[in-house]
Amino acid sequence: MAVEREKAERLADEELMPLIGTKDPEAFAVFYDRHGGVAYSLAYRIVGDRGAAEDVTQEAFISVWRSGARYDRAKGSVRSWMLSIVRNRGIDVLRSRAGKAPKLSFDDDEILEQRPAEELTEEEAMRRETASEVRGALGSLPDEQAKVLQLAYFGGFSQSEISRMLGVPLGTVKGRMRLGLEKIRGELAEGLA
Amino acid sequence: MSETDHTRWNEDLAAYALGALEPDAAVALERHLDGCEPCRAELRWLEPAVGALPESVERVEPPPPLRARLMAEVEADARAAEGDAAPARGRRFGAWLRGSGSGPLALRPAVGFAALVLVVAAVLGYAIGGGSGEGGGESTIVAGQAPGVTATMVDEGDGGTLRLANVHQLPDGKVLEAWVQRDGEVEAVPALFVPDHEGRASTQLPPMDGVEAVMVTAEPKGGSAQPTGEPLIAIPVPG
Repeated sequence: MAVEREKAERLADEELMPLIGTKDPEAFAVFYDRHGGVAYSLAYRIVGDRGAAEDVTQEAFISVWRSGARYDRAKGSVRSWMLSIVRNRGIDVLRSRAGKAPKLSFDDDEILEQRPAEELTEEEAMRRETASEVRGALGSLPDEQAKVLQLAYFGGFSQSEISRMLGVPLGTVKGRMRLGLEKIRGELAEGLA
Repeated sequence: MSETDHTRWNEDLAAYALGALEPDAAVALERHLDGCEPCRAELRWLEPAVGALPESVERVEPPPPLRARLMAEVEADARAAEGDAAPARGRRFGAWLRGSGSGPLALRPAVGFAALVLVVAAVLGYAIGGGSGEGGGESTIVAGQAPGVTATMVDEGDGGTLRLANVHQLPDGKVLEAWVQRDGEVEAVPALFVPDHEGRASTQLPPMDGVEAVMVTAEPKGGSAQPTGEPLIAIPVPG
């Protein structure tokens, strides 16, 4: 029997997953309403056009619908799990477009501030703060570090491919990746302090 | 393990966390991680930075019809599930594994995808997680119409990774979907995947306890609840 919408809205993601596993549409609708925006945004950031972003988002959510019971808490939050599925599907689409380069611009500076503040839940507000911290950290990274992170995460390129694309030694790419992630991690840790 | 080896693997942790390590190197690093707590701890420390990257993208509102399409599909699934009192039983693929007379591990040639004659001379590298990373049994599968596809599957205890190489491009509208057979029943693996321009494709597998075989089929975009065609590759898992 399907859970009522109001009850489902009060459940944490981790509590929605077993309901989705029992094929509860209301639980799935709440899950989509919570994460559909960021999932679609990530898909659009990776694939660069709205039609493909819709396909990626739809496939990712259907995948969750069919496998919700298999979510493993040890692997991180439901949201991270969901976004990793979106990212992998998006990268698959990029790779299937042989030779098409990903978007490399990072003019993502107006993020999340478009909805009125009174609509924000506490959880969403924290996510915005995290997004702001990550943007700040990315913005303060040297260009060469930000670029390798973008090529790897949003472009799906391997470190060897990035080395060839940028014409720099592989060890340099490894170092830039490490330094970039450490900088972001440090910003996150400061935000929690 | 020498200090030099440790340093070499440690330098790859950031690329691994970003999913930017080549498949073979990722498998090797995962084996190193099995026996190296300092590297595991460092990876755990880096992972939130990677997890934060998608939160930083500019928010774009999804079109409302997307939600409508999703809910229509979901509600149709739910109605079908309610109408079927008996639990859905997956299609078994033991027969495919047993093949059609060419030996115990032979597959039927892939049919129905004439443009997609992929499979198979698959080498199964089966590493048991939690130990030194040294592989367990290895077996070779030979079948299909286009030899050369290599499959590497690693059991990491709480899941696994299946990596394919030398895979031909898929027809438009098709994706790869993996399946595992457990207790004779076939379960879909959530993450759909496609080969890259170099013919590499990979997907995450669920916990491998009790898994008897892993199979990959080509399915319509969005995947299928059950395999709809002959397997492109099927790998028996040593018990």
